[in-house]
Amino acid sequence: MSERSESDRLQRESWARRMVRRPEIGSFIVMIIIILALAVASEGKAFNALGLKNNIAIISQLGIIAVGAALLMIAGEFDLSIGPMIAFAGMSIALMMKWGLPFGMGEATPFLAFLITLCMTLAFGWLIGNIVVRSGLSSFIVTLAFWFFLRGLTEVCFRLINQNTNVSGLPDFKQQSWFADLMGGEVFGWFFSAWYWIGTKISAGVEMTGDMTREQTIAMIDYLSFLNINRKMEMWVTGFDARLLWFIIIAGAAWFVLAKTQLGSWIYATGDNKESARANGVPVDRVKIGLFMFSAFCATIFATCQVFDTNSSDAAKGMFKELEAIAIAVVGGILMTGGFGSIIGVIFGAVTFGLVANAVFFIPWIDGAWFRVFVGTVLLAAVFANERIRKRITGGI
Amino acid sequence: MTQQAYMRVENIVKQFGPFMALNGVNLDVYPGEVHALLGDNGAGKSTLIKILSGVHQPTSGTIYIDGKARTFRNPRDAASAGVGTVYQDLAINQLMSVTRNFFMGRELKSKFGILRMDEMNQIAHDEMLKIGIDFSDPTQAVGTMSGGQRQTLAIARAIYFGAKVLILDEPTSALGQKQQMEVLKTIKRVRARGDIAIIFITHNEIHSKLVADRYTFLALGQVIGSGPKAEIESQDIRRLMAGGAEMKDLEQELAQI
Repeated sequence: MSERSESDRLQRESWARRMVRRPEIGSFIVMIIIILALAVASEGKAFNALGLKNNIAIISQLGIIAVGAALLMIAGEFDLSIGPMIAFAGMSIALMMKWGLPFGMGEATPFLAFLITLCMTLAFGWLIGNIVVRSGLSSFIVTLAFWFFLRGLTEVCFRLINQNTNVSGLPDFKQQSWFADLMGGEVFGWFFSAWYWIGTKISAGVEMTGDMTREQTIAMIDYLSFLNINRKMEMWVTGFDARLLWFIIIAGAAWFVLAKTQLGSWIYATGDNKESARANGVPVDRVKIGLFMFSAFCATIFATCQVFDTNSSDAAKGMFKELEAIAIAVVGGILMTGGFGSIIGVIFGAVTFGLVANAVFFIPWIDGAWFRVFVGTVLLAAVFANERIRKRITGGI
Repeated sequence: MTQQAYMRVENIVKQFGPFMALNGVNLDVYPGEVHALLGDNGAGKSTLIKILSGVHQPTSGTIYIDGKARTFRNPRDAASAGVGTVYQDLAINQLMSVTRNFFMGRELKSKFGILRMDEMNQIAHDEMLKIGIDFSDPTQAVGTMSGGQRQTLAIARAIYFGAKVLILDEPTSALGQKQQMEVLKTIKRVRARGDIAIIFITHNEIHSKLVADRYTFLALGQVIGSGPKAEIESQDIRRLMAGGAEMKDLEQELAQI
């Protein structure tokens, strides 16, 4: 009898090797490639002061809903109702801001409108979750039903209350309401202030003068745009969209819960094998219902930011967003079958998707529809990569 | 036997509608002993286990734990009375780490539900070492473990969470030869602790002979033979396992075809 035991066959790996084998590595590499490609193709414009702000805005927007979708997928369920939930929440807030609270309860404040809307969307999330766990039906079909239901409901409400499927030209609530400013205003102004301050040091002595040629002027504006200085030699961009703050909060909280808490263990256990989780005392149904509500919460935050940023809303908001959220989660290394994945990967996925979605603004010669071609290709590649990872972890079973 | 039975099952009857699954079964299990429960498919082994672990309630009959009559309304009741069941599917999640599986549903946590991961890793490692597997890295996924190691994990988990009666549901089936031996070694190690009673359900006559101290044979919902190892002859085992059929008769029947 040899002294070797089964456990000797699994070798401890070096730090570098473990990093390479991390499930997020694929999405990380794709992200780096996209960042470099975009920087080159846009001649850097994608990452000048305004480019960075706009890119971060869309990354955060997609990231917020992708985190909700990802947690739900780790627990083994899908949510196709994210997009319609965004439209519903946006409708609800915008109509309350325009026409006042329901049942003639008076004027709405942004915070009150948000709170009432959140109660409704969480109730929908709770309802979806309950239907899924009690019926045992696939969440795909249940949330598809809610996709139609909520899209229709949103449009009906718009027409009944507003005679029109959009609300635009709302007053800019950010001026008076701290809450509207927190959702739709700007954050991390110090970042751009610092950028501008450094910019003034670098560009000291440079001036825009009237006797410059057109080419010289364009070159000068280009140069200054990387120093966060506008053509009047003032600070150009003053802050990130507030969405970034929400993305950081939501992603940070989700990462912490998954990696460090009991609830995180329960989420993984639920998605991996719910029968064995249940046999060990994990409240599988409550976990799932809670995550459907969390997904609805993320959609509501998305919508609230949108409404108070643009002071408008319409019934077509959030179109295809559920599919993009799921695609980001998959590209970020979340298994379609549940039980595995990390929030770090989802963040990489959101950066990749946000940059590509926005690329058309920085590369004038590109057709915006390439975005979907890219999404399709990367999605398929990601599914294959994830399947490989799953096989490796489960020893090929 | 001077020792008192830790678990005593008296006259358990279980009916599913008109179907008599168990018809008055008795069973005594003693600490530090392996009690092999044998029987053919459909003999009622699974039903009996499910009653002992609180999944089903008996139609009549009594379960005594430490001399006191107990009623198990659900698996939680059974677990708190010290009955730990390791099912065939092991209730293990492949994609999760050894530690997370070990503590699944019963995680050690501090304030705000934060996991005490280091402590959990240490306990999982130590508990598995006690019954024979030295796992250098309890953060690795269970999917990388062999079938025998998974059994050990499930058994270590049941013991750590207070099992005094350990019910092993066909732990050696669906394993390779070498891993079967690993599991039998694990059973021996648990037995050597002296404080845990093991109910070992199996189809395999050889395995039962290697580790069992006491036998109970079930056929068609009834006990057709039981007793300590010394009293049951090897020939008996084979006959009783086949539900009382004589091996010679079987050989004859086969020869006629």
